[in-house]
Amino acid sequence: MSSTDHSREPCPLVIVNDLGGAFVMGGLGGVIWHGIKGFRNSPSGERLAGAKLSIKTRAPVSGGNFGMWGGLFSGFDCAVKGVRKREDIWNGIIAGFFTGGTLAIRGGWRSIRNGAITCGILIGCIEGVGLLIQRANTQVPVAPAMPGDQPLTA
Amino acid sequence: MSWLLGSSPSTAPAASPIAQQQKQHTTANTVDSLYDAAGVDDESIDILDIQEDKLSSIEGSQSIIPSRDWRDDLCYGTGSVYGLSLVAGSTYGFLESFGKIQPGASFKLQLNTILNNVTKRGPFIGNHAGILAMNYNFINCGLDYYRNKHDDYNSLAAGALTGALFKCTKGAKPMLYASGLCTVGAGVWCGFKRVYLSTDETGNKKLD
Repeated sequence: MSSTDHSREPCPLVIVNDLGGAFVMGGLGGVIWHGIKGFRNSPSGERLAGAKLSIKTRAPVSGGNFGMWGGLFSGFDCAVKGVRKREDIWNGIIAGFFTGGTLAIRGGWRSIRNGAITCGILIGCIEGVGLLIQRANTQVPVAPAMPGDQPLTA
Repeated sequence: MSWLLGSSPSTAPAASPIAQQQKQHTTANTVDSLYDAAGVDDESIDILDIQEDKLSSIEGSQSIIPSRDWRDDLCYGTGSVYGLSLVAGSTYGFLESFGKIQPGASFKLQLNTILNNVTKRGPFIGNHAGILAMNYNFINCGLDYYRNKHDDYNSLAAGALTGALFKCTKGAKPMLYASGLCTVGAGVWCGFKRVYLSTDETGNKKLD
């Protein structure tokens, strides 16, 4: 989701890719998360059955939630890129703002505002950390000394 | 998705001497032939990471959307199926909700009835179809890399296994039904792909 990644597809296609990637991430994560949760919340003797039931009912839902988030974010990211015609961290922040707002759209204006601001700040933090890591990993090129700086010796 | 799933080591095709000679005479238009022409061993030396961008080299794996490796296949397959079935489920819920609106209800109540129905049907169908597509793609890609080629039998087998896995807690009979249904679905998809790719004039990636 970094805007400087050139190994990715052009814009309309990348939405499908992100939707699927986020769904897979959520689905696999949901299997692990709800498997452990169902295992721990079941009485002993039915722990495996509880884990199985929990995975079966909850993993698709968590996959769907992640997928919805990723697809919406990617779509808004593409839209913002198309409107602003530039690539920087504000794309992600604006896209996160709209994503948070859209996901909370049924809860009324108050919840839309809170969701949008929370999501925007979260994406801002992630993008900021990414920027810091990128900056720490980049070596700043040092300009060679100009020939006029030192007096020429014959 | 390389940041999440890691990058897979590139598999070198087993090269016979004749194939090697033929390779040297062809024009250098791919990354591999450039490496061969320059005498560079691209297994040990990583000059540039442009190998990331090459398309999938498995025989017969070319599909409608160009994909680089199994991660692209997985993401595109899951994403498109999830998105399409979400839209289809939402439409079904939307149409269904018209029969449920109480007569004389206010606009807000009508809107909420419709939205409730859409959000009940859409995500349910979308999530289950997405899980099916995810399993199908995982198994399909696994079979591709195991057999090192892709054909219709692969897809059908992946469909059968997916259906069996989806209903594996319900007993033998539902497993059989789901397996058959998924195999039929995979067969329909294979036929569609075949028709689509064979009518494609511009692409040189045709199935036979």
